[in-house]
This record gives sequence, structure tokens and C-alpha cells, in this order.
Amino acid sequence: MIPATMLTNALLVGAVLFCLGLVGILTRRNLIVMFLSAELMLQGVSVTLVAWSRYHGDWGGQVLVVFVLTVAACEAAVALVFVLQAFARTGRLDASAWQALREENLPRVIDHELPADDRVVPTWPHLSPAGVLPEGDDSRSLERDHV
Amino acid sequence: MPSSAANLLVLVPLLPLVGAICTVLLGRRLGPRAHLPAVAGIGAAAVVASLLLLGTVNQVGCGHREPGRPVESMDAVLTLWQWASVSDARSGDLPAAEAGIPVASGVVDNGGAFSIPIELRLDPLTATLLMVITGVGLLVAIYSIGYMHDDPGYPRFFALVAMFVFSMSMLVAASNFLLVYVFWEAVGACSYLLIGFWYTKPEAARAAKKAFLVNRVGDFGLAIAVFLLWMTYGTLNFHDTRLADGTFVEGILGQTRIADESGYVGGAVGTAICLLMLLAACGKSAQMPLHVWLPDAMEGPTPASALIHAATMVTAGIYLITRSAPLFVGCPGALTMVSIVGATTALVAALIATVQNDLKRVLAYSTISQLGYMFVALGTGTMLGFTAAIFHLVTHAFFKALLFLGAGSVMHAMGGVIDMRRFGGLRHVMPITAVTFLIGACALAGVPPFAGFFSKDEVLASLHAKAHPDAHGSDHVEAGSAGERPADSFSQLGVAAPRPSPFRPASMTTRSARWGATGEHGSTTEKVGLDALDHPSTWRLLFWMSLLTAGLTAFYTFRAVFMTFTGPVRVPKEAGHHAHESPPAMTTPLLVLAVLSAFSGVVLFFTNALSNFLAATPSLNAPAVLATAVTHAFHPDIAIQGTLAAAIGIAVAAIGHLGRRSDSPQLERYLGPLGTLFANKFYFDQIYAALIVKPLEALAMVTAFFDRAIVDGTVDAIGQVPLAWGSAIRRMQSGLVQRYALAGVVGVLAIVLALAWQLRP
Amino acid sequence: MDPVSTATAAPSGLLLAGSVAAIAASLWLLLPKASDTVASRRLGFLLGAVALVGFAATGRSLGCVGEDAVFLTVAGIAVISGLATIVTRSPVYSAIWFAMTLAGVSGVLLVLGAQFLGVATIVVYAGAILVMFLFVLMLAQPSGMAPYDRVSNEPMLAAAAGAVLLGLLTLSIGRLSAAEPPACCRMPSRAQAVAAAAVPADGAAAKDDESTTLIAPATAGGDTGDANEVAHLGAELFGRHLFAVEVAGVLLLVSLVGAIAVVSRGEATETDHRREGR
Repeated sequence: MIPATMLTNALLVGAVLFCLGLVGILTRRNLIVMFLSAELMLQGVSVTLVAWSRYHGDWGGQVLVVFVLTVAACEAAVALVFVLQAFARTGRLDASAWQALREENLPRVIDHELPADDRVVPTWPHLSPAGVLPEGDDSRSLERDHV
Repeated sequence: MPSSAANLLVLVPLLPLVGAICTVLLGRRLGPRAHLPAVAGIGAAAVVASLLLLGTVNQVGCGHREPGRPVESMDAVLTLWQWASVSDARSGDLPAAEAGIPVASGVVDNGGAFSIPIELRLDPLTATLLMVITGVGLLVAIYSIGYMHDDPGYPRFFALVAMFVFSMSMLVAASNFLLVYVFWEAVGACSYLLIGFWYTKPEAARAAKKAFLVNRVGDFGLAIAVFLLWMTYGTLNFHDTRLADGTFVEGILGQTRIADESGYVGGAVGTAICLLMLLAACGKSAQMPLHVWLPDAMEGPTPASALIHAATMVTAGIYLITRSAPLFVGCPGALTMVSIVGATTALVAALIATVQNDLKRVLAYSTISQLGYMFVALGTGTMLGFTAAIFHLVTHAFFKALLFLGAGSVMHAMGGVIDMRRFGGLRHVMPITAVTFLIGACALAGVPPFAGFFSKDEVLASLHAKAHPDAHGSDHVEAGSAGERPADSFSQLGVAAPRPSPFRPASMTTRSARWGATGEHGSTTEKVGLDALDHPSTWRLLFWMSLLTAGLTAFYTFRAVFMTFTGPVRVPKEAGHHAHESPPAMTTPLLVLAVLSAFSGVVLFFTNALSNFLAATPSLNAPAVLATAVTHAFHPDIAIQGTLAAAIGIAVAAIGHLGRRSDSPQLERYLGPLGTLFANKFYFDQIYAALIVKPLEALAMVTAFFDRAIVDGTVDAIGQVPLAWGSAIRRMQSGLVQRYALAGVVGVLAIVLALAWQLRP
Repeated sequence: MDPVSTATAAPSGLLLAGSVAAIAASLWLLLPKASDTVASRRLGFLLGAVALVGFAATGRSLGCVGEDAVFLTVAGIAVISGLATIVTRSPVYSAIWFAMTLAGVSGVLLVLGAQFLGVATIVVYAGAILVMFLFVLMLAQPSGMAPYDRVSNEPMLAAAAGAVLLGLLTLSIGRLSAAEPPACCRMPSRAQAVAAAAVPADGAAAKDDESTTLIAPATAGGDTGDANEVAHLGAELFGRHLFAVEVAGVLLLVSLVGAIAVVSRGEATETDHRREGR
């Protein structure tokens, strides 16, 4: 049993995590980051569930979180495979690479203004190479014609 | 007898209908024998019709009869089934009374019940016409076996012919004005289909359309007349009926009403009904001003022209007026109009026929002219006039069918050429056709003793009687006591005799219609309006017009004969090796019709069988008609006048054409501007084009513009609105799923906010 | 009704509105954009901090708590790491921040008294799922920073939507606490809560009591921090929810097979594609 104050605090944390995840999934275009955002939303839900479970002293919420974990694992496995396939097709992890759903005679949405690359220097973690580096040509247009 | 006869009566329309259906179903399988069902059906119907005719003759008797002796009217009615029944076609009182239209006496207000029974009737008029229809129909069908062979539409033709015989026999056998209207339209439809039989030919298609549209004007008149009849008489049946609840309904042409001298409404309404019926008859029987379709109808196959446009269908108008004789007799003005229309048509058509070079068109105008003759006779409103019209109808059916089939035979042999100027001396090429055609021509021209002579003589005699009433006055006095109505005629119907109406000597002067001006000749009242036309001087004019027409008829008939069959032998090159006498299937009907044309007149005239027989028709048994019955007599003076006119016509034709090349200069050149007028058919087509067709086309263009520019424009503009919305909104369909998800989230938020606002504390 | 909540209603509303605006602005500034500058990012961080404080204060005014330092710490870690997860340009960093979030969340779960779930989250997510993410990143990330990592999709609208949603949730949570029986509000501390829980105060507690009694009657009542919590959860899972557990197991198997199937088929496509492309 937890007190109501703890409940509200935990719910608040869950709500914040959920909303952050939502914003992430709506804005970020990297498929991996979108998935991380989805997981973030799941975390928010988990926190909420546990809080209610503890508040009511009912195990149902916690059981549900166990299942959430399970399903998240399944989802991650399948979805990451799809992400890999998508990357194999376009050479990018860009959610905007697929625009086939648009109206036929509308032009593709293309990012026209991009921030200068030099402002954020990526510093990769020093991992040993574990696969072929995908070849992508950034100097070309952001969009490819084939899907 | 009535019941068995009535049962047989069903077969007359039924057999051709079965034949038509069989032809439609089996036509393709039968191939060159596709004529079998139709010919068999029509033949069987002809046999039945002759049996019926014999039976009716047996019952009525057609021997020589004293005019003073009462004539038993006879009809037998067979109810097949109830077609439509409306229990409250009108509410309460008769609508006519509310609308200010006079209601005829004896109209039973049966609560507004309106029913259309499918009822056939048999009376002398129907029996006669059925015989003509099926008989001529059979001969034409047999002829068509030879004429139409190898035509791709062979089965279709026979199906249509059988269908036509069915419709026409239903038309004359129906005992109800609405049924008459239905089959009036049905024969029009058959006519349309047969004129346009070669529908790939533009002229044929145009002619069919023209015939249909012009007929439509007349049909319109008939429809209005039927409405008026129902409003005035409360029923549409010809015969008296007894309803299930015991109400006795007097039929419009039932024996009760006919015997009742005040049974018919005169005045404006009566005249309107009669004039509308006259309009209908003008349309179907090709009288002026609705005659323009018949010459063009010659674009159809020649057997169809012979059957429909010469022998049978065009007589539907004659039948209608004869059938409605009591109605017309009540309106002398309308009757006179019938005669005026008929005489004018006869003269004008004869004038046009004198300068035609197309053999079939000569015959077409001759048909119009002869139908005009019948109208003249009908318009006299006397027993002699009605029977003369039917007499002429019968003989005309024979000789005009003969002439048309002869023309078809010529056309068949000449490879489709029908222009007389390109023929000559064909009597050497096709002797049977030439002889039979000559017989037909003699009958048409009124050469004694061929059929046309006698019937034309009767027509002229009926006119003469009207033109010189004093000369025939003694007959009227005698007729005054005629026509004691038989009491037992109702037992035939199986209905109780209606209220006793003591029959008074019904001369036309004592008969008084209840409404409106009813002035008749000899009456002391002042004639007004149309009725003022009914004056001996008018009839005198009409008589002389008819006599002139007789002369012209003889002229153009023999002109055609001389141009086609005499002179040096000339065969158009289209004929090729085809120029020979027609096959037996075609010549046999010619011979049969030739015999009929030659002898039917003399037999029917001297025995007086037809008129006595027809006098038993209920319609002609009206007191007003019976009153005019005269002793049958041969009028030598009129016969001499008619024969003289015919002789002059033939002589002029012989001077102009006998022995000459048919393409040599014609008599027309002496006519000057009149010739141009005749050749252009009195410019009827041009006048109609200018007065009716062109304004209608202009109206159509205006309405089409309105439709396209304004109606369609509005619809298109409304259609543009969703398109504009769509083109605005479709820009949101970027295909980026994240934007879709965002839209979903924003939507959910909007809903949640709305709920929160609604549930706020 | 409740004097505390009514007294704080107006300032709480203003505070909430301000916090929502601040978090929206902060998110917008922090999300990857073409017009990013260092100053704007700093401003974003600042606003984010302000918003966090605001929300914490909101929570305080709502539930009169916040004195639990452990909870505040782990919750702060979770929230800040979550924010960093979605605003970091590099997906690798995102993943690492997400690991931090997981750590914070598991802390929150521990504080809430769900020991097993707290540990399981770390083990399953950080140990398995996140590693898988990193593997995929390693396989799929092009060299250098990809252009699509440097821009976001509709940042302003999405940030506003998220902030409004957060504000709505906070509002409803506040209303929830305001509707609670005052007894709950009078028990601010954990120790008092534990003491109060020993005596069933309401129906819910009684129900809980009963259910725990069924499973472990000897330890009924003292569930928070209970050493037998895992045992209870296990008994619940494999007792009442046995069927669901089996189904979940099947689901795992199916997804495993499915993933392998998709990969093996897709690899042919990939090689084909590569062969064609080069």
C-alpha cells in the first residue's frame, strides 16, 4: 500500500514520461529513436500501472506490467527486424523516406533547410566494428526515388 | 348461337397472336419457312371469321327486306376477363356534372366504380370487318412468301403482319372505348414497325417516324374523346352491362341508349367528342390535314403497304365513325365536317395523284382519295351513307390490295424500280399482273360493272339524297314509321329489358337532344355554329366535288395503267434477267383479289345483302339512322353521271398516254403553275415544316441551350464545390505517417478538451 | 470541499498553465531543428528545468508530498533522461539516455514497492532490448550524422500537443487527489502510510487484505517492502493469470519465429538490392 500522495507523484511521473514519449514519436524521424520513444511511453504506462496497483493493493496492475514487458520485447524484436529491412531498402533510418501514401500528384516532401552539420560533431562510442558499414551518400538529395 | 359464336370470336385475334409469338420464338430456326406459323395463324383466323360471318348472317338474315320492316339489331358480347377495376375512380357525384359538362340521360351513378373489362363483341359490322381483315391479311401474307423471300428480316416481317392482324381484329372486336384506344395504338405501332421495316434505309426510318408522329396527333384526339365520353356517359362500354349489385349500366352504344332518343348529349360537348373522334379518324385514315404520312409510308415493303396502308388499318377511322354513328347523328355540324373533310381530301389527293410518277405513290394518293370518299358518305349521317361507306370500304379493300400487290409484283420484277416513266409495255412481260392490275384499275375508276362502280354509286347516291332532300322526301315519310325496336334483343344479352321507352316515329326533326343547339335540316330552330354548315347547298357542293374526284380517279388510274403496261416494251436495267412474271405465290392472291374486285360489287349491290346485314348493327339501329333508311334502288341518273365522269377521265388518260413512251412529254405541261402545285402536293410538307417543325426545332434548340448552359452549368458548378474542397484538403495527404499520427493526437486532444470543458466542475 | 485543494486551486491552475507553456517551449527549443543555436538550446534547458520545478510544485500542491527525497531523485533522473532521450540528435546517445531513464523508472518502481518489476525492467530492457537497439544501430547507422537526425517533424505543433496532454493529465490527477478521502492526505509520510495500511481503512484496503491473505496469510498487511513480494507476484501470475502467461509465452515464440522469417526473407531482398544497386 502506498499513500495517495505517492500515487499522485507516481502518476505525474508516468504522465511526463508518456507525454515525452509521445512528442518523441511524433517528431523524431529516426526509426530507432521513434522506437525508443515508444518504449518511453510504455515506461510511463508501467509506472502508472504499478502506482495504481500499489495504491489499491491489487496485483493485477503489476501482472499487467509483466505482460507489457513481454509484449515490448516481442514488439522490439519484430519491429527492429522491420527497421533493418527498411534500412536495407532505402539505406536510411528515415521515417519520411516512405511517402507512398500521399496523393498521386503531390510532390514529395523534401527538407529544404538543414542545419549545418558542423555544429554537432557526433562522437561515436568506440565499439569494435561488428558489421558492414552501410553505404549512404549524403551529398546526394535527401530523397531517393525508389522505395 | 351467341355463346358459341362468341367463343369462336376469341380465336380470331388469338390465332394470329399465337402465330406471331411462334414466329418470334422459332423464326431463326425455321429459316426460309418462317412464314408458316404466321400464315397458318392468319389462315385459321380467316376460316373462323368466315364461320362467324356465316353464323351472323344466319342469325340476322340479309335477304331483301322492306324498309318499313323493323330491323332486329344484334350483338353478342363475350367477357374474357376484368382487366382493371377502380372502385372509386371518382368520388360521389359524376364529375361531369361538377365540371359543368352535361351528363347523358340514363347514366347510373354507381359510386364512381370504373372497370375495364376485356370484352369482345360480335355484330354485323364487326363480322364484316373481321372477314375483310383476315381475308386480305391472308392473301397478303401468302403474297409476301414470294415477295419477301431472301430478305434478311423474313421472320420479322411475318411476325409483324400477324401481330398487325391480331391488333386490327381486336380493334374492331373490342367492346370498349379504352380497348379500342389500346389497339388503335397497337395498329399504329405495327404500322410504324412495318414502314420502318428496312430501317437501315434513311428514308424508311424517316417515313416511319413521320407516320408515328402524325398519327400521334390523331391519337391525342381519341384520348381526349375517351376522357370526355367517360365524364359524360359514366362508362366506356359499348354494350349494356349489369353489375354484380344489380345496377344496370347503359353502354354508350348499348341497345337501351340507342333506343332512347334523348340518350345522347348534343351541343358543344357532343360536338367536341365527335370532332375529336374525327381528328383521330383523320390521323389513322390519312385525311386532311393529317394525310401527309401515308404517301411516305410507301417506303415500307409493298405487302405491308397493301395490307395496312391501303386495305385495313386506314379504314380504322371509318370503323370508328360508323361505330359511333349515334353520337355523330346527334351533332349534325360534326357530321357535316366529316363530309367536308372527306370531300376536300378526296379532291386534293386525286389532284396530287394525277401528276405523280411513282406507281406506289399514285396508289397511296388514290387510297387517301378513296378514304375521303368513305368519309363523305359517313358524313351524310344516313343509313344509306353508312352502309355505302362500309360497302366502299369492302370493295376498296379488295381492289386497292389488288392494285398494291400488282404494283409490288411490277416492282419485284423490275428490280425495285417503281418510277413509271422507266417502264413501258409490261403487259408483254408479265401478263397476269397486267390483267389483274387492269381489273383493279377498272374497279377503282368506277367502270361498270366492276366493284368500285357500285360502291361509288352508293356514295354518290347518299350525297345526292342530302343535296336534294325534296327529291328523296318520299323515302323519309315512309321511313317515319320504321324501326320498331325489337324487344327480344335484350334476351340475347341476358339482361332484363330496361324501362319501357315507347318508340316514337323518330324523324330527325322530332328528335331533340337535351343540351345545346340541336338544329337540323328541316328544323325550325335557327342553326348556329357548325350546325349551320348542314345545308343542302353544302351538300350540293360536296356532291359535285365528289363527282369531279371520280373523274380524276379514273384519269390517274388509267394514266398509271397506260404508262406501265402499254406502249413499247421498256424494262429498266436494274431488272436484269429478273424481268419475268412473278411466282405463283404472288400471282394467286392477285387472281383471287381480281375475281373479288370484279364481282363483289355487283353481287353485293343487287342482292343488297351488305346493307341489310349491316343495318342490324346496334350503332346503325339508332332511330335517327333508321329514320333515314330508304328503299334500296338503283339510281340511273347518278350512275350515268358517275360513269360519264369515269369515261371522261379514262378518255383523257388515253389521249395523253395510250401508246406513247411513258417518258415522253406529259399532260402536266398543260397544267402550268397548277401542275407545279400538284407535283409539290399542295406544299403540305413545306407548310408543316414552316409552321410546326421549324418552330419546334427552334424551341428545342432554346431548351437544349437552357439545359446545357443553365441546368447543366448549375449542376457542374455544384459539382465543382467538393472538387475544390478536395483539392484544398488533399494537400494534407503528404504520405508522411508522422503527420498522420500528429493529426490523430491533435484530434484526440480536441475531443478530450471538449469533454473536459463539458465535465468541468 | 477540501480546504487545502480549494485554497490552492487558483495558484495551482496558474502554475499548471505556466508549466505547460514552459515545457512546450522547452521541448520545441530542444528538439532538433534547422534553426538550432547554442543559445536556444540553453534556453530550452532552462525552460525545461523551470517546467520540471513547476510540475513538481504542482504535484506538491496537489498531493502535499515531495519530501521523499529518494522518490524525487529517481523520478528526476527518469524524467530528465526521458527528455534527453527524445531531444538528443544522435540515436546512440538517445539509446544511452534511454538506459538512464530505465534506471530512473526502476528506481521509481522500487520506491513504489514493486521490487520484482524494478529489477525486471532493468534486466529485460537495459539488458536485452536496449542492447538489441544498439546492435541495430550499429548495423544500420550510416557514418556521420544523418540529415534526418538533425531535423524534426512538426516540432512546434507536436510539442504543444504533448504539453497540453501533459497539462490535462496533471489536471485530472489533481482532481483525483482532490476527490480522495481526506484521510489519505493526512498521511504524508511513508511510515505513517505503512502504519495506516496495517489497519484496513477502506474497502480497497480490505480487498487487498483479503487477496494477500489468500496467498500469504502470515504476512498480511505489510506488503510494502515485503520480502515476499516476488513470491506474491509469482503466485498471482501463475495462479490467476496462468493462461495469460502461457499466451504471452506463445506470443514470444511467435514473434521470435516471425522475426527470423522476416529477416531470412528480407536478406535475399537485401542482397538482391545490393547486387542491383552496385
